[in-house]
Amino acid sequence: MNHRDLLLTPTRRHFLRNCPLGLAALWLGSRSHASAPATPGHDPAQPLRANPPHFPARAKRVIYLHMAGSPSQLELFDHKPDLARLDGRDCPPSFLAGKQFAFIQGIPKMLGNQYPFQQHGQSGQWLSDRLPFLAKSADDLCIVKSMHTDQFNHGPAQLVMHTGTATPGAASFGAWSTYGLGSENDNLPGFIVLTSGGKNPDAGKSVWGSGYLPGVFQGVQCRSSGEPVLFLKDPKGIDRQLRRLSLDALATINAHTAAETGDPETMTRIAQYEMAFRMQLAATDAFNLSSEPQEVHDLYGTQPGRESFANNCLLARRLAERGVRFIQLFDWGWDSHGAGREEALNHGFKDKCRSIDQPCHALLTDLRRRGLLDDTLVIWGGEFGRTPMRENRGGREMSFIGRDHNPSAFTIWMAGGGARPGYSHGATDELGYEAIIDKVSPHDFHATVLALLGFDHLRFTYPLNGVPLRLTNVAKPGSKVIKPLMA
Amino acid sequence: MRALSPALLAALLPLAPASTHATTEFNRDIRPILTKHCTACHGGVKAAGGVSFIYRDKALASGKSGERTIVPGQPEASELIRRITSSDPDEVMPKPDHGPRLSPADTATLRQWIADGAPWSEHWSLIPPATPPAPSVSRSDWPRQPLDAFVLARLEAENLTPSPDATPAAWLRRVSLDLTGLPPSEDDWQTFAADFATHPQTARTKAVDRLLASPAYGEHWAALWLDLARYSDTYGFEKDPHREIWPWRDWVVRAFNADLPFDQFTIRQLAGDLLPNPSNDDLLATAFHRNTQNNSEGGTDDEEWRDTAVHDRVNTTWTVWQATTFACVQCHAHPYDPFPHEDYYRFKAFFNSTEDCDQNDDFPRFTVSPNPQAATLFQKTNQLLREITDAGTAACRAVPDWNPLKPSAATASGGQLTIAADGTITAAGTMPIGVSYEISLPAPKGLTALRLRILPDSSDPTAWPEKGCMITECTMAASAGNDSPSPVPIAEVIADHQSGPYRPLALAGGGDLAGFGGYPVLEGPRWAVFVLTTPLAANATLKVTLKHNAPVNSGFQGTPTRHFACDGTTTPLASPERQQLISAWRATRKAYAELKGPAVPILTERPAPRETRLYARGNRLSREAAQPAAWPATLGPPPEKPNRLAMAQWLVSDRNPLTARVTANRFWAALFGRGIVETLEDFGSSGALPSNQPLLDHLALRLSSHHRWSLKSFLRELALSATYAQSSSAAPTLVARDPANTLLARGPRQRLTAEMIRDHALAISGLLSRKSAGPPVFPPQPEGVWSSVYSGARWETSTGEDRYRRALYTYAKRTSGYPGFLAFDAPARDLCTPRRLPTNTPLQALVTLNDPAFLEMAAALASRVASTSTSPRDQIARAVALITLEPPPEETVIPLVQLYDAALAAYRQNPSEATQLAASPEAAALTLVANTLLNSDFALNR
Repeated sequence: MNHRDLLLTPTRRHFLRNCPLGLAALWLGSRSHASAPATPGHDPAQPLRANPPHFPARAKRVIYLHMAGSPSQLELFDHKPDLARLDGRDCPPSFLAGKQFAFIQGIPKMLGNQYPFQQHGQSGQWLSDRLPFLAKSADDLCIVKSMHTDQFNHGPAQLVMHTGTATPGAASFGAWSTYGLGSENDNLPGFIVLTSGGKNPDAGKSVWGSGYLPGVFQGVQCRSSGEPVLFLKDPKGIDRQLRRLSLDALATINAHTAAETGDPETMTRIAQYEMAFRMQLAATDAFNLSSEPQEVHDLYGTQPGRESFANNCLLARRLAERGVRFIQLFDWGWDSHGAGREEALNHGFKDKCRSIDQPCHALLTDLRRRGLLDDTLVIWGGEFGRTPMRENRGGREMSFIGRDHNPSAFTIWMAGGGARPGYSHGATDELGYEAIIDKVSPHDFHATVLALLGFDHLRFTYPLNGVPLRLTNVAKPGSKVIKPLMA
Repeated sequence: MRALSPALLAALLPLAPASTHATTEFNRDIRPILTKHCTACHGGVKAAGGVSFIYRDKALASGKSGERTIVPGQPEASELIRRITSSDPDEVMPKPDHGPRLSPADTATLRQWIADGAPWSEHWSLIPPATPPAPSVSRSDWPRQPLDAFVLARLEAENLTPSPDATPAAWLRRVSLDLTGLPPSEDDWQTFAADFATHPQTARTKAVDRLLASPAYGEHWAALWLDLARYSDTYGFEKDPHREIWPWRDWVVRAFNADLPFDQFTIRQLAGDLLPNPSNDDLLATAFHRNTQNNSEGGTDDEEWRDTAVHDRVNTTWTVWQATTFACVQCHAHPYDPFPHEDYYRFKAFFNSTEDCDQNDDFPRFTVSPNPQAATLFQKTNQLLREITDAGTAACRAVPDWNPLKPSAATASGGQLTIAADGTITAAGTMPIGVSYEISLPAPKGLTALRLRILPDSSDPTAWPEKGCMITECTMAASAGNDSPSPVPIAEVIADHQSGPYRPLALAGGGDLAGFGGYPVLEGPRWAVFVLTTPLAANATLKVTLKHNAPVNSGFQGTPTRHFACDGTTTPLASPERQQLISAWRATRKAYAELKGPAVPILTERPAPRETRLYARGNRLSREAAQPAAWPATLGPPPEKPNRLAMAQWLVSDRNPLTARVTANRFWAALFGRGIVETLEDFGSSGALPSNQPLLDHLALRLSSHHRWSLKSFLRELALSATYAQSSSAAPTLVARDPANTLLARGPRQRLTAEMIRDHALAISGLLSRKSAGPPVFPPQPEGVWSSVYSGARWETSTGEDRYRRALYTYAKRTSGYPGFLAFDAPARDLCTPRRLPTNTPLQALVTLNDPAFLEMAAALASRVASTSTSPRDQIARAVALITLEPPPEETVIPLVQLYDAALAAYRQNPSEATQLAASPEAAALTLVANTLLNSDFALNR
């Protein structure tokens, strides 16, 4: 497909699906799509229509649990007995040469794993005692211990994880997915974002932006308390019946305008108002957690009406069931520097672990028993890792225990959706400082997840100004699909 | 094919070039084929097999196979033809897995072109526009402006006729929204209708002149410019803190309203600081390029983000003025256009030596004071600093006896210092912020000055810049024998240059931001001379204490001096003349510091330019040869005095083939909904071709020559044209023939922009405040939308008339835009946005139906019309007429009256429901109608 065709037509979306037949025919007559689409099945006239990918997909949808701030892999997944032996000693100079840290000054002390580790399940996956629930799902997990990135600050690193590019303005993973695959639900957005932890991610809304892709593909931020979508609720004093009457009147006068002007856009608008009306019900229903039985609330640890990661996990399951293509969760509060109690590995970090452990396990369990885990890919991780050195902000020992940012090593896990279960991939050096075996970059990770979704990342492109842009960043060649991660 | 059957072609492809041609034309016929099928592999980035189609000499040469790619006049001897027609899958081009075969028509066109001698021409947009011949048209009574003839000639060639004029009401609504972003008032309409009845074109002229003179004009066009400038009230990135830059937004409004010619508008924004005797506004204008993002996240590398901002300035300049995808050249030669890799860094050199360096305080800033002397004081302090430095460095260079002073001891409050055999001191270990060094230097009697040389860690300039080092305090004491040390006062500090946020000068005698070194990074070797107030009376040990209290990277990294050496002299260096200059500098600085007003980030040039090096593959860490400042050689000979000012002047000179076209096209697109070159942002080989190049070139020359870059005169011509006056209604056959209205056989019909959606509804409801300028405001926004990390910023909803200001004045936060604007395609303004792509989504419907701000406007509209009549029907008809200006047709009124009746019945049955919306069931029913009306397609379009 010629990108200019797409630029010309973003306003035509849904028109065919939703408008009266005669007008659709009239409109159809006005268009000719001569050029072949670059993305299989992608039709610029119906950008959100469900589309087949390049080859049969293992995953039909994604639930991506992003722990914003970056949890310490050394307290959760990366078991390093050698590091424990060095605990409290000066960091060897060879570790510091040529490195840049956000906060560490001079020569910091080494810091061993703060919590005991144990192997779990048939697969013998190593998990610390901070994740007792998730440990029960150990055999579902595909743990990647050799992640590394080139950004050591949150904003740029989050952008790399979600858009492949460190500066704002590129299209996000979810936007690419809905661009390529469309949506399976007419009444809900194809790409939904939920946040918990009281804050948006550091890089702001560009981590779910559409970048250079048309705006219709951007993530729609929904809220787990209050109105799920901004302005979803009918205003006070205008009930459903009155709104229906109002939209009927609107459709009548707009149809008159369409007849007078011959502007196909007007008919599209009528259809979009109808979809908005349906979305009001569909989204309200999807977000109504109180309709879930107590047994489910017990499983997740959810309390309807509160903004929490647990609630968002349950919402993610409900949205997945309804055919939402990409469900992106951000949980803020993982930046364990140790500069204060909240962000200390020996205090706030424990609470954060508690708040996600049960819901993560519940989500996997619930998806499995509903038959959704096979084609739903769940991803968990931060934007980089944390140092095996204890942070010493200002060159001094701090009263709480924390670790600085470490782009050279971090851990993510995947489950379901064609990810290889009960598998641990790659390794860091003996101190957990640098990924050294089977390293995986964010671009490799993107290439792999796209492969699970049925796309060849090199062929899944969007032409802009003559450059075939792709999620795996054309400016960073060499990214590859990590086949061992696929079941 | 093309040459053989023009009739068939015209029938099949109504939008193909107007007529067909017996011979080929390179830009029209050949380049598009090469760009589509060949240059991805045989272009600027990649020249597979040694074959490239970017330059003629390369295309005519032999590839690695030894065969000549193109032999002019001999298609059958040309390897190109042999390969595209080959049936051997190993030989055929494009390779089967790279793309489809060329169509027989394309092959025939290439053959014809080679047979004709393979004439080459530069890409159309790189050839300066020439006055096109006046088109001959048969309907000579139709044109009202010269441009109309170009449109009509094309329509006649396509056998199309222009549409009739729009109704006076439709035209007035369209032109009012297009020129001012606001709908016409009832009075505007009455006046216009009365004038129109007697002299239609005079009425139009009068209306356009009134609109161009309205203060709303500048507010409207500023919105377009703010997208290009990536204007925001915040820095961007993680913390996204507040940036005080709204005075620049107000300057843009003033500049549009004063009709500052576009060439001046350009020069002032890109280089106002370099003009002779710049005014306050000239300095303020340069904030255009300080709208780049600033990364204030803890521990970020200031130099990395400074560099990112400079690249953004290059890319933005090329997008805004040249519509060229110059960003491509950052990593490699342009894949399609004739720009080698070096061109990027040569152009970057124009921007690379501004003082700003990603500091959390947005240094340097200019106090926008009502005092007209502010700019003079600001410039004078910098000028005096240069004079002091020039005089001081000349004196230091003339010293014949700089002798090394070898330290006898060197200690540090953290980390270790070691003294090498040659006396050089090297620091290692943990150097906390604020680290202090104490150096003991055996110094001779009569010592007049100490020279401190900071040495880079590496002697290889491509390894520079290095981590910063900044001495923020220097004290000396001397002791002879066992005497207790006595202080040695410093009279003056002379540095090799005075660039950056810190002042070496202030190290003597105190003053804020005193410091010498490299900050935030060390660009290369530095030296400073500390002149003693009185020469040493005897041989002594000089104890020099150096403190480093200027952390970088948002305050988290120290800046210790890592490598340095000391010399001494007995030559007298004190100078009363310089002391006078220094006193003058202090006085000027004080006078400037006393000015009151918002401090806005601006561009100023460093006294010491930065070296600009080519980045291999665009990687900042792979620095190669240094590049001189220049624009691409393709676009003209290099400047005599290569600086930002010369570059800005070149952009708007008649030597530049692009600026006038790009600008004319941009303003045309704002009125007509689509550019003559549809890709407003790309006039290169990968962009769209102009749909009517004679029209574009005519307009470009009208703008730059005839109107001398006056945008008001230019827009006046567009708005008064017959083309613009056409009705936008289109028969299905015309929509089918030309769905995007490329040929302009009908008038434009565009959805309102995000800003207009708000301003229009405020105006119709009577709530709009016309207060202009000033700090951004906070209209109602849902709770919880603003929640940036590490930011205490809160959305405090404005009260009074600030609640109802134009959209332009709404606080713009990069990481969290105003939801109602984002829904209607307003960009986040992270980067330059040359074109908004209008969408039509259900989320937009939710905004205008349910946003409490829109409900408030609906209620206001209802009460505005309720007072004018007791008949609901009349009230509704009047509400419609406030939007459409004319008495509405029954088809519009009846459904709304029916809605009113049904709603009234419902509210009467359930009065408590009504009171949630309005005071009475009648008012509630009318509010619902007004809410519906504000969502109608005719309200949302122009």
